[in-house]
Amino acid sequence: MTDRITNAMLTRTVLADLAGVADRLARTNAKLSSGKELTRPSDDPFAVSRALAYHGDLDANRQYQRNVEEASSWQTVTDTALASVGDLTLRVRELVLQGGTGTVDASGRKAIATEVGQLIEAVKSAGNTQYADRYVFSGSLTLTAPYTPNGADTYFGDTAALKREIGPGVQLDLNVDGSSVIGGGASGLLKTLRDVESHLLAGDTNSLQSGDLAALDTAQDAIGNARAVVGARAGRLDAAQERLSQLEEQTVRLLSETEDADIAKTLVDLSTQQAVYQSALKASAAIIQPSLLDFLR
Amino acid sequence: MPISTFLGVQTALRGILAQQRALDVTSHNIANANTVGFSRREAVLSPSEPFTTVNGQLGTGVDVEGYRRIRDNFLDVQLRAQTMRSGFYRARQDGLDQIEGSVREPSDSGLGALLGRYWSSWQDVVNAPENIATRQTLAQNAAALADGFQTLSSQLQTVASQANTNIGLTIDEVNSVSTRVAALNGSIILARSAGSEPSDLLDERDVLLDRLNELGNTTTSEAADGSATVQIGGFTTVSGIAATSISALSDLTSLTSGKLAGLKDLRDVTVPGYVTDLDALAGALITATNTQHALGYDLAGTFGTAFFTGTTAADIAVSAGIVADPSLIAAAGAAGAPGDSTNALALAGLRRTALVSGATVDTAYSQLITRLGSDAQETRRQSANTKALADSLEGRRQSVSGVSLDEEMTNLIRYQRGFQASARALTAMDEMIDLLINRTGRVGM
Repeated sequence: MTDRITNAMLTRTVLADLAGVADRLARTNAKLSSGKELTRPSDDPFAVSRALAYHGDLDANRQYQRNVEEASSWQTVTDTALASVGDLTLRVRELVLQGGTGTVDASGRKAIATEVGQLIEAVKSAGNTQYADRYVFSGSLTLTAPYTPNGADTYFGDTAALKREIGPGVQLDLNVDGSSVIGGGASGLLKTLRDVESHLLAGDTNSLQSGDLAALDTAQDAIGNARAVVGARAGRLDAAQERLSQLEEQTVRLLSETEDADIAKTLVDLSTQQAVYQSALKASAAIIQPSLLDFLR
Repeated sequence: MPISTFLGVQTALRGILAQQRALDVTSHNIANANTVGFSRREAVLSPSEPFTTVNGQLGTGVDVEGYRRIRDNFLDVQLRAQTMRSGFYRARQDGLDQIEGSVREPSDSGLGALLGRYWSSWQDVVNAPENIATRQTLAQNAAALADGFQTLSSQLQTVASQANTNIGLTIDEVNSVSTRVAALNGSIILARSAGSEPSDLLDERDVLLDRLNELGNTTTSEAADGSATVQIGGFTTVSGIAATSISALSDLTSLTSGKLAGLKDLRDVTVPGYVTDLDALAGALITATNTQHALGYDLAGTFGTAFFTGTTAADIAVSAGIVADPSLIAAAGAAGAPGDSTNALALAGLRRTALVSGATVDTAYSQLITRLGSDAQETRRQSANTKALADSLEGRRQSVSGVSLDEEMTNLIRYQRGFQASARALTAMDEMIDLLINRTGRVGM
């Protein structure tokens, strides 16, 4: 016996088919309007977990880039300050050479000593350089000015290294502490400068020519070294920046491949499904209408 | 043995009556073409008792032997097995859809994004530990994360409690349907004992049994008197004309399928599973953060206090003190060093630390989402499969029991013509007898 086809069956089938096509159409529409291939975890659980991981990577990456930018700016500010300290030291060296000879009289040396005194203030002011309201040479005591203008030469910072993260687990020392370059109290550049000042006033040309010049050269070397370190850090930061932005680009691409809808393909899908839906509607209108009833008198 | 002259009249009359009954049945079928659960009827016609003569048996026309309800019981059994599964998966799917809606992943507002923002805020504090504004941002983003955990947790609880409410309502429905089945059993027994086939009652009862199967795993057995004994999840709800109410879900000792099992599974297994995972995640984050936070120093140079309060996803919050005064965030690794951010760095580093049974917080969250996604995907697939199977079986049932209007129209013509022909036969008989009675033996009159 062949299967009987009853009216209820026809209606059911037509309704179920129409619902199926309409459901697919709605999904395609949602994909198009959101631009996303994934709208809920069950669309593709593993793609969603990948997308979550990429989102996390991207967040972290952008944060690292911000960290790098921040650290780079810090290095720039540090380097500028160190450069000016270097220039000031050079100027003092010239003055020592000038005042260390016997050709300058006491009043001339006093004038030179006055200039050295002002240069010392300039060095201290460079040591008090701030970046975003923070003293860059204070070690971890960033809210405390490391040097007191027109006062004692004591260093008020500490020697702690500030660390920043520029990649997963990759840390970088950020700062140069003032005591190692500019010194303070009884040592370092400031002490040398004070010595120069007092030797000039006292007319002690011997000390000026031997000890002070050598000490200035040592200080100059320390500044040079510090600038080299800062320069190397800046280079490392630039490299990190470049690597991070490459990584970002790559992750964005992967993320887009994972969660973004292929618009061209989706549009083709949409028009196909629309055509199917319309023909399904036409077919159902046609299939339910005629019955034997229409042909009986 | 002589044969009566009027035998033919009787035969024709039987024909007329039988065709008329068949027409009545056809008309009944047409009228019920769209009635839910209706099984088409058929008038079973068979030759009436023949008249035995020396020359053999002489037919005496037709009788309506009975009115048959066309139904395939085997299809009912198959269909109900699928309806059960379909009910189970649909109940689960409803709950899982709702959970999927609450997690809002992947998106910029889900917990994953909140976690990302939280970790980034720690890095910002590393970059500027002295800055109250960045600390404020961290406190706000941490609070947003805590809110995210709490919201998700409470939404999961809502799904579980809705499932619980739904279980109560479904049990009520099972009880009310069972009562109606028991009442129908009574009517069916009465009708059977009076010797008639209660087709309409049987149809009505089958609709109810279909419904019961959707609600729970149901076994039905029919007794000799026509009554159906119904067991749901191992609990006998209908026996003869007596219905027993289910008072609690625990009455159903072997509940394995149907809507009730789906809801129970959702309430007792699925949702609690997610809640446990989410709690473990939040708990690990709270513990690790607070432990590390206590090792650092705040801006005033004192040891850090608890950063988060609470122990689970349901009660996680940022300590009120920190929200009110972000300088209490212990970013420094040394007392009185405002520019030091060693501890903030360590806290930001928790992002890459395996805190939740061998996985980082982000990974554990992603695993939770993947599990939810897989569960929902699997349930949706099963739900669609069982529905398709049930639909196809329902189609086959309709093919057997449903009304085909074309067929009924054909029958209408068939029986109408049969009626007309029987009437014509009666006319022929009448004319013959007229000839015999009124015109025979009138020669010469």
